[in-house]
Formats: sequence, structure tokens, C-alpha cells
Amino acid sequence: MKYEIPAEAEERLPAPDTRSGLLSRWFLQRFPVWRTYEHLEGKVVPKHRHSVWYNMGGLALFFFIVQVITGVLLMVYYRPAEPWMSVQRIVMEVPFGAVIRSIHHWSANLMTLALFIHLFSTFFMKAYREPREFTWLSGALLFAVTLVFGFSGYLLPWDDLAFFATRVGIAEVEKAPLLGMWLADLARGGPEVTVDTIGRFYTLHVMVLPVTILTIIGLHLFFIQVQGVSEPDFFAALPPEQKKYEKFFSEFMFGEIPIWLCMGALLVAISAVWPRGLSPEADPFGSAPAGIKPEWYFLSQFQLLKLFPGKIEAVGMFLWTMIPIGILTVPFLDRSIPADDRGRLVTKIGIVALLGLLLFTVWGGLS
Amino acid sequence: MKEAEGTERSRRGFLGFLGAVGLGWLAAAIYPVFRYLSPQAPPDPFGEDGRALVEKITSAEVSQPGMGGNGKYGNRGLLIFRNQSGTLKAFDSKCTHAGCNVAFEGERIYCHCHGGTYDLEGRNIAGPPPRPLTELGVVEEDGLLHVYRLTGGGESEAGS
Repeated sequence: MKYEIPAEAEERLPAPDTRSGLLSRWFLQRFPVWRTYEHLEGKVVPKHRHSVWYNMGGLALFFFIVQVITGVLLMVYYRPAEPWMSVQRIVMEVPFGAVIRSIHHWSANLMTLALFIHLFSTFFMKAYREPREFTWLSGALLFAVTLVFGFSGYLLPWDDLAFFATRVGIAEVEKAPLLGMWLADLARGGPEVTVDTIGRFYTLHVMVLPVTILTIIGLHLFFIQVQGVSEPDFFAALPPEQKKYEKFFSEFMFGEIPIWLCMGALLVAISAVWPRGLSPEADPFGSAPAGIKPEWYFLSQFQLLKLFPGKIEAVGMFLWTMIPIGILTVPFLDRSIPADDRGRLVTKIGIVALLGLLLFTVWGGLS
Repeated sequence: MKEAEGTERSRRGFLGFLGAVGLGWLAAAIYPVFRYLSPQAPPDPFGEDGRALVEKITSAEVSQPGMGGNGKYGNRGLLIFRNQSGTLKAFDSKCTHAGCNVAFEGERIYCHCHGGTYDLEGRNIAGPPPRPLTELGVVEEDGLLHVYRLTGGGESEAGS
């Protein structure tokens, strides 16, 4: 039993005696998706002076795809039972191993950076407002998963920088109230970072997190396809004849291709110029080397906590926790379209948060 | 009509029953997984005689005043050195701030992660550490070093 082709499709499909006409009919008789096709065909992206930010999500997706490919390749030689030796082999012996590992490293950093920009640009364009609350929340979740990806992947080479950075990072988790100690022990597989921790982080990094992130990416993209791209207030206020749009399929998508190609080239270039190093194998009993620092995306938190040493560390933690809480609640606090006084206040808070984040990151990097 | 209500009620009853069984089933499945993932308590580094053998550093490496370095006891890091008056001193090497291993630097004990500084008695004198290091007792026997837990002295974090 084939499906019937709707009349409005018949009107628009190529003539049935052409090859494309035959093929499209053959497909529609098996998958009755004409209405979905029409919906996607009508999808547009607003065109204005801030349109460049619409490419950031796609860019993060590009870096994610690079992560999947290079990650699968690294898994071929990486062995959690002899982590450092196997990474050293990838770097020293396997043809192109050093490049693939460096690309994985740089692409992870650029993916996080693209997500930072994506998060802040959608924030300032107030795309989180009704009806897109869940697109925003799923995006926040994607960002959190990406940070866990970064943290878990950082330990896997098992060199001394990674080892002590992880030890310090988890020691921070320990200090969180209530569940902190339990979570830290669960992450480490005991009171110390050992090879047991590698087993846990490896499983997270190559299995649990990828399945999780793919699911949420699917949802996030599905929401965007259904709801379309949000229009920022200044664009929505324009008279209709001044609003310009670009079709998502395929003008916008084709527009992304040159960006992706350039970024791919950039990745290879920076990986060649600044290959990811491997410091000596971790010695869990030796003294910590100088220069232990978290990755840049944890630096702001690291620096903030440094300002509140000892007993008042909880104050610093509380301050930092305000950021995720703010991200999770903002769609429900700031709802007015166009923005009212509260909306403008939220924007100002966002600017302060962004400047604070930048300041603390640079400060943490320099000190 | 009555019959339909009765069917509806028994359908709800069945769904409730199914829900309860499902929850029980889930709990029965989650508990073993939870236990499986929960870390086992590490073995006490101090043996039956209350002592732990020092490894990765030998007594020859701490034979003279001013000599010292990092080693291990059980599964933990150790800092051991001989002070200027010739006494062997040993500390659990875990910095009380963020858990890096401290280093012996002759005049002081220093942590490279965040600049935590202790004096040679293990007292935190500069930088972020909130507490002194955990001191351990040392005995030298047949050229082998052993450490033991000091009762009452400092916080007994070692072996916890």
C-alpha cells in the first residue's frame, strides 16, 4: 500500500516524466512527509546587522563533528590501562597521531568558545523568551555537558599537569555543600585520583557523554526546526517591508559551508603551529609541578575562588553558582516581548556577568 | 455506562499496580548499580602493627640534615626529610588547600599548585592552606623507613 501524493504536492513537483519527478514521487509514496517539507522550505533566518551570531551554533556543531571523528580515531590507540604510554605512542609513533590529537584538543577549545559566544549572543538577543524556553534550557544543558566533556578528557593523557589539575578540580567539588564529598568520591572512584578515576572518566568521555550530548543536540535542533529562529526586538519592530530574511534551506546553510571550511583550515593550522604537548607521566606520589592551571573555561571560577580563601570560600562558590542559576531561570523571569524595564535590567546583569567572566578569565590566565 | 465506569476503574487499578511493580523493579535495579559505582573504602595504609613501609624514597636519600623528598606509604603520598638538628620528619604530602603534593625545599615546604607554604614543622605559614600538614611518626629500622600515625597530633586525615 503506497501513500497517496497530496494534491498541493502534485502541483509543485517536477513533471512525472522527468527523473527528479519520478524520484520525488517514489519517495513521497513511501514517506508521507510533504507537510514537513513545506514547513522546512518556509523556514527563514532574519537578516540584519547582528545576523553573524546566528552562525555560532552551527559552528559549535562543526567543532563537535570534528570531535567525534578525531575522538573515534584517538580511541583506536588510546588504552585506559596504560594511558600515558598509549598517548605517547599516538604522539611519537602513529603517523599523523600528533596532529589528530592536537586537532582534538583545539577543536574542543574552539567548540567551547563557540558555545560561549552562542550562549551570550542568544542571551542578548533575548531568544530564550516564549515560546523558546526549552530550546534555551536544552542549550544550557549542552553547555554543561560540554564542560564535563572538557574536564573528563583533560585527565585521560595522565601526564602530571592533567593529574594535578584534576586533583585540584575535584577538590573544589568536594567543598560543595551536601553532595560535594559524595560526588567527588564517585567521580574519583575513591578518596584520591588514581587509575580507577581514568576508568570512570574514560567511560564518561567516550560513551555516556556522547550518547547524552547527541540526544540533547537532536532535541535542540528539532526545537529550532519547529519554532524557527527568534527575531530580536529591534528587528521585530521594523515595518514589514524593511524586514529581510534568508531561507534556511539552503541559502543560510550554504552560507555556513565557507565558514566551516575556513574553521577546518584554521584548526589544522593552529594544531600544526601549537601542537598539544605531553608532560611527563603523572606520579601520584611526587610533588606537584609548577604551572598547574585549569583549562581557560574554568579559569574564571578558579580565580574567583582564589579571592575567597579558607572559610569564606563558600561566598565565592555562592557567587559563581549564581551564573548557572541565572541561566536556568532567565526564560521564566524575563518574559516581556518587547523588553520592558525588567528585560533591560536582565540585559545589564548579563553585560556585568560577561565582563566579570572575561576579567576573571584574563586575570586567572595572567596570575 | 456503569460497565464502562467499571472498566475504567479496573484499568486504573491495573495501571497503579503496574506503576508500583515498575517502581519496585527500578529500585531493585538501581541499588546494585549504585553499589557497583560507589567506591570501596581504601585499605588502611598502616598495617597490623600500626606502621606503614615507606616506598619510593630510601633512608640513604634522607641520611644527612637538609636532605628530603617525596615518597609513598600505602596508597598515599609522603614528604620526608631530615631537619638541621638531624631528626627525621614525615608528613602526608597532600596539601590541605587543594590536595596537590607538597615539595621539600630545604627551608620550607612548598606547594607549586597555588603557592601554599609550610614551615618545617608542617605549620601553614603563607598562601591558601587552611590547616597544617598531617604529621606522621618515623622509625628507621634495618635501613628501612616506616611511618606511623601520631595520636593527638594534627588532623588525622591520613588513611581516612
